Amino acid sequence: MTVLTEEKPKVGKKYIEALRARFGASILDESWQAPDQVTVTVPLNSLPEVVENLYYEQGGWLATVVANDERPLNAQFAIYYVLSVEGTTGPSGDEEKVYVAVRAQIPPHQPEFPSVTPKVPAAIWYEREVRDMFGLQPVGLPDERRLVLPDDWPDQLYPLRKDTMDYRYRPEPTTEDETYEFINVEGEGIVQVPLGPLHMTSDEPGHFRLYVDGEYIVDADYRLFYVHRGMEKLAESRLNYDQVTFLADRICGICGYAHNVAYSTSIERALGIEVPARAQFIRTILLEVERLHSHLLNLGLACHFVGFDTGFMQFFRIREKAMKMAELLTGSRKTYGVNLIGGVRRDILKEQRTTTLQLLKELRDDAGRLVAMFLETPNIVQRTQNIGRLETQVARDYSPVGPTLRGSGFARDIRTIHPYCAYDRVPWTVIAKDGCDILARTLIRAEEFFESVSMVERCLEEMPEGPVLTEGFTYKPYQFALGYVEAPRGEDIHWSMLGDNQKIYRWKCRASSYNNWPSLRYMLRGNTISDAPLIVASIDPCYSCTERVTVVDIRKKKATIVPYKEMERYCIERKDSPLK
Amino acid sequence: MLKLIKEVLKVGEATLPYPFEPIEQMPGFRGKPHHDPERCIACAACAIACPPNALTITTDFDRGFQTWSLFMGRCIYCGRCEEVCPTGAITLSPDFELAVMNKQDLYERADYKLVSCQICGLYFAPLKEIEYVFELLRQKDMPEEALAGMRSRLETCPECRRKNDVPKVVNLYREEV
Repeated sequence: MTVLTEEKPKVGKKYIEALRARFGASILDESWQAPDQVTVTVPLNSLPEVVENLYYEQGGWLATVVANDERPLNAQFAIYYVLSVEGTTGPSGDEEKVYVAVRAQIPPHQPEFPSVTPKVPAAIWYEREVRDMFGLQPVGLPDERRLVLPDDWPDQLYPLRKDTMDYRYRPEPTTEDETYEFINVEGEGIVQVPLGPLHMTSDEPGHFRLYVDGEYIVDADYRLFYVHRGMEKLAESRLNYDQVTFLADRICGICGYAHNVAYSTSIERALGIEVPARAQFIRTILLEVERLHSHLLNLGLACHFVGFDTGFMQFFRIREKAMKMAELLTGSRKTYGVNLIGGVRRDILKEQRTTTLQLLKELRDDAGRLVAMFLETPNIVQRTQNIGRLETQVARDYSPVGPTLRGSGFARDIRTIHPYCAYDRVPWTVIAKDGCDILARTLIRAEEFFESVSMVERCLEEMPEGPVLTEGFTYKPYQFALGYVEAPRGEDIHWSMLGDNQKIYRWKCRASSYNNWPSLRYMLRGNTISDAPLIVASIDPCYSCTERVTVVDIRKKKATIVPYKEMERYCIERKDSPLK
Repeated sequence: MLKLIKEVLKVGEATLPYPFEPIEQMPGFRGKPHHDPERCIACAACAIACPPNALTITTDFDRGFQTWSLFMGRCIYCGRCEEVCPTGAITLSPDFELAVMNKQDLYERADYKLVSCQICGLYFAPLKEIEYVFELLRQKDMPEEALAGMRSRLETCPECRRKNDVPKVVNLYREEV
């Protein structure tokens, strides 16, 4: 076992020096978890300014915000704003890139902190979540509604506080009704269209409310987290370090392995464990195999939503090859379950390698033909160009991730910005486009698919021999670090702090869609209601299909319920509006 | 459009006739764990490793047996049990068709006798586990007389062994001094 921090030089010191020059004595402490991970502690009242400085002055993007109940350790709560500081936000910055966590302590007798959201809008969801889960009040937060906890959850019960509740405890619901207050947009001719709470595009429930003027969307509001499963609490309470990898696999039905790698690397970094090179390559291969099936799924859905169902069927047919590939390499079509802390459990043998290379060749040919056909279909460009625009400034303010961000002109991909696994050892190109629309996001996925095929091929060819698992290390309590993976939809960020009883002390996992949701509102504005399902699908969200749509006419104070199938049909056929 | 029609015709029917015909898995597919009760020594390594608590071990100290049980309703097919099993008693089969009409059919269990301590008479460890350790020692070419002593040591519960050993160690120390 080697300790990485002592071997490699630290990168990104200049950002911390700039902070010191600007804020002087406000930088109370600086500690490095890895060569490109640093945590600076600041007093509570300078938190918003420091985060703002890193975000807007030094080219930062908000990666995650972690609250931690550190009362058993130092009698304080702590909050960490983790930013990827990249110097420039231009298309191809060569500057040093480092993860800076801005940490502030919050005294338990006065559980509040100054909200960062007025200065950095990207923090909005995180601060709402911190208030729900830890009962720490963000003072000045513009949105006071609950985010994660359901409406019927008791007040004053903050699930992630260490002394609050057993992970098996299920409090009695406090109310029978939904009490969530959607934003209120009123005006001449504006109609509310709630979508949800069940099933909108694919898998999980979410409640959407669209405010429309005639056919055009003026604003949108949404309520998610109907399927919050309390995984963080479960991991902290019952599972040991290796077992959490299998739970991480189940965070998402599509990018589960990405979460798994993000979690594993967070623990490995915290302990300075060196993962064998062969294991790094295997992880890279499997992450890209996951991207193959995910991008094919999204391309298929894009076909479906513009009414090109034959294309949908064809994309799903070839996606089956990517699923078979995963089954061959890991033993399972999804929930690969091949990671342990320190490496992987399953090697790739010669026979598997040959079959995989053959499947990749077939996939490249098949997808090549299908993508060409897809783009030649006249409907596609017409339905996606300039629709669902995510303007560059909105993207900058809200830190969206993955193809959603790259479609708005930022060539930002964690695989090159903070290389992990074997991404710095195989050549590949970051795909970015500046169309800012659905078309750009869809094209990025199509092109990334072919990059991934080549990457898997290169990795299979260049994979070094050797062991695949590092063993025999000891877990050290209260070490913490960040793990990150560019999942098909954007980066998954995990922040882990180890505990002293063979269990994780705090595990904060942030899925990629979490960063994309807040900007969706801006993508929906100004588009027609028949494009709504298509726009939502274009961020490839991790959530789901609406079985019914309620239409509320504010002027007539009348509610009409339209089945979701009808909404979807309208998106596909675009005639006989259900609103008329 | 013509290209698309050509593609569709070329591919033909992609849908498989499953379930009317069996479906093939890739080699190494992780399906239902198969338990060989003969090989199992009830050491509980699998129950400790199992992430979703599908595998559990319960011990009945009064009646002197230990129960290994698997609930398929919780299994996630990760194969950690197979990996940690010292005797190869658990292997993952390619079997994935697990629907049952009765929930009880999802449970599998095996009972193992416990050994009672030679000194205090209380049950403390599975007989097969102790025999397994004994056999390992024999195969390491431990001499016969040492083996005999080892047998009685193995059949003493940790509590009694501690009570026995501490005075011995103290005496050894005194003799040396």
